[in-house]
Amino acid sequence: MSSTDETLPADPQAYVAQVMAEIAEEVRVRRASGDLPPKLERELDELFLAHSPVAGRGGDLGDALRMVDAATFIDPVVPVESERAAGAVVKKGMRSLLLWYVGWLTHQMSQSTSAVSRALHIVDDRLQELERQVEGQRVPAAGVVEFPAFHHADAWWVEPTVAAVAKAPGRILHVACGDGWLVRRVIAAGGDAYGVDPRSRVIDTSALGPLDLRGEPVGQHLRAVAAAGLGAMVLSGTVEGMAGAERSQLLTAIGSRLAPGGTLVIHSVTRQAWEAADAPPETDLAAGRPLRPEAWCSLLEQSGYDAVARSGPGGADFLVTAVRAAITSPYQPVER
Amino acid sequence: MSAAAGGPVAVHQFIATLNPHDATGAHALRLREALRTAGWRSEIFAEAIHDDLAAEAFKHWMYPEHAAPGDVAIYQFTTSSAVAGYVAERGLPLILDFHNFTGPEYFAGWEPQSVRRAAAAADELALLAPRALLGLAKSTFSEEELRRAGCRHTVITPVLADYRRVAAPPDRRVAAELAHLGADGGADILFVGRIVPSKAQHELVKALWAFRRLYDRKARLHLVGGTSSFEYSKALQGFVHDLGLSAAVRLPGEVSDAALAAYFDAADVYLSLSAHEGFGVPLVEAMVAGVPVVTRGAGAVSDTVADAALVLAAADPSYIAAAVHRVCTDGQLRATLTAAGVRRAAELSGDAVATRILRAVAAVVGGP
Repeated sequence: MSSTDETLPADPQAYVAQVMAEIAEEVRVRRASGDLPPKLERELDELFLAHSPVAGRGGDLGDALRMVDAATFIDPVVPVESERAAGAVVKKGMRSLLLWYVGWLTHQMSQSTSAVSRALHIVDDRLQELERQVEGQRVPAAGVVEFPAFHHADAWWVEPTVAAVAKAPGRILHVACGDGWLVRRVIAAGGDAYGVDPRSRVIDTSALGPLDLRGEPVGQHLRAVAAAGLGAMVLSGTVEGMAGAERSQLLTAIGSRLAPGGTLVIHSVTRQAWEAADAPPETDLAAGRPLRPEAWCSLLEQSGYDAVARSGPGGADFLVTAVRAAITSPYQPVER
Repeated sequence: MSAAAGGPVAVHQFIATLNPHDATGAHALRLREALRTAGWRSEIFAEAIHDDLAAEAFKHWMYPEHAAPGDVAIYQFTTSSAVAGYVAERGLPLILDFHNFTGPEYFAGWEPQSVRRAAAAADELALLAPRALLGLAKSTFSEEELRRAGCRHTVITPVLADYRRVAAPPDRRVAAELAHLGADGGADILFVGRIVPSKAQHELVKALWAFRRLYDRKARLHLVGGTSSFEYSKALQGFVHDLGLSAAVRLPGEVSDAALAAYFDAADVYLSLSAHEGFGVPLVEAMVAGVPVVTRGAGAVSDTVADAALVLAAADPSYIAAAVHRVCTDGQLRATLTAAGVRRAAELSGDAVATRILRAVAAVVGGP
């Protein structure tokens, strides 16, 4: 089939591109002629899916139960076809001899799998009811709430924040980093900073250069960070609209990812600023409301931080700087 | 870093499994030789060692017996392994040799244990990548993944593989069997790789079905490779049976190097429809063997084959069948792809690759 004596084209890439175009045209013509209707290709997909395990078809519990139901009955009448001449006769004889025994076993197995199937259907019904109830009570995750007056490189809190984190013992994460305005400042001060922001649209990946900015939610990002992998974290525009449970989950995640001795800086706005007429519309939609500086200090101290709060010049926002205490454990690390 | 002052005493490799039959194992062995030749001390430490290589490596927990100040670790990252945590814990200057791994999404619904293993591998990458002085990526695809995980200094270096094994004398028994099968005509389509969902062998079966229906009723498909996915393998065999292709689709399992050479020798076209490939060593082996390659450009495949393969623009069986037909019947196209393949394989083979790796290592840890 091969032909190695052929003359090679002068421009192989252009030649291959031409071949690809001809193949596409060939397929178009074939399709138009009805040689291979699209319906047949769909049937191929369905045929393969029929062999795949349930979750391969989307992980639907209803599908799983249908497969369980279909497999509930175990047939004791084994097939007797054979490629050898006498094989079928021998197999048929063996089946007749053993049918009473195999039938007794398979009957019990069918009963057992039917009981399991019934139980799974009850679980399915209850799960569906629970899902309906939970759906009605679902609290939407808080998004970034950006106040133009506070979230920019010249804001009053930027300098003390940079001073607090730039010498951190590890990477410094700015949450709700936007286009990287604070990350740039920290890097300029000698810190190893990067940022995440759930609003991936605000990160212009084509203009990042050496900047490390990632478009993903902070919770998802922290799950991928190693324990004690961060030297410092800065949260701005992040915590104000969080409901209690979400805030608690975030603090737990931060607690495990921030190195002992690491710094957590939280910039937040007061409730007055949150409820002012010119506040961003996200404030109306958020599930939670801002905590007061005293509440943040109390919450962080309960979580093992030494926290200090300071208010901004207009009294509309504040900065909490918290240092995570070094871990004290009665157990000493094992010398290797 | 202690290594920076006077150069490292040793550059050791850590790996999950050292197996002579997989690309990473062969890569680690060849890299050790290159490191030693360049003047470094170098050993391999592994969690699991194939019996044939028992004398070639140590268990990873034996490293302290060989440790010396200034040691540098190269971690061969392919899958989740206890070695990742061990390497991180030792705090050695680290080079991450990243072969990529198949993400959990490719196993979802098939193998729950593989989903968990792949998710753990992602966690281990997040643990190691930010600590690495250097990331060695096998393609731009893998380099992007390394950078996303936090590795700041990366270099692209291909796999150090021994592609010559496919040019070895073919196994005579297998060659005779394939010749017998092909005596009545019909194209031989080959794919080499583990039978797992991410390699999408079922798509190859669909393509064969369409190819036989439209162009070549006697065509055969050889799916060489073992399996680590019982569910997928079972589904594939059921699918083949239902399509009435049991005689046309051959699943010989894992084969020896000589048998593999026989399969490449008999193949008219190498077809890959994998949904994910970290590099794709068999693609290069096909090029070395002079077999034209038709492939989907998933994962790192486009990087690996460059312009030396017919990279498919669509994945529907009729399109693939038309592409395979064209390669099988158009002498000029075969000659073009074969010539480009031999050239591309030469770029990815030999001492030049080892030199690139050694140069990258020396640039960050100092010379031997």
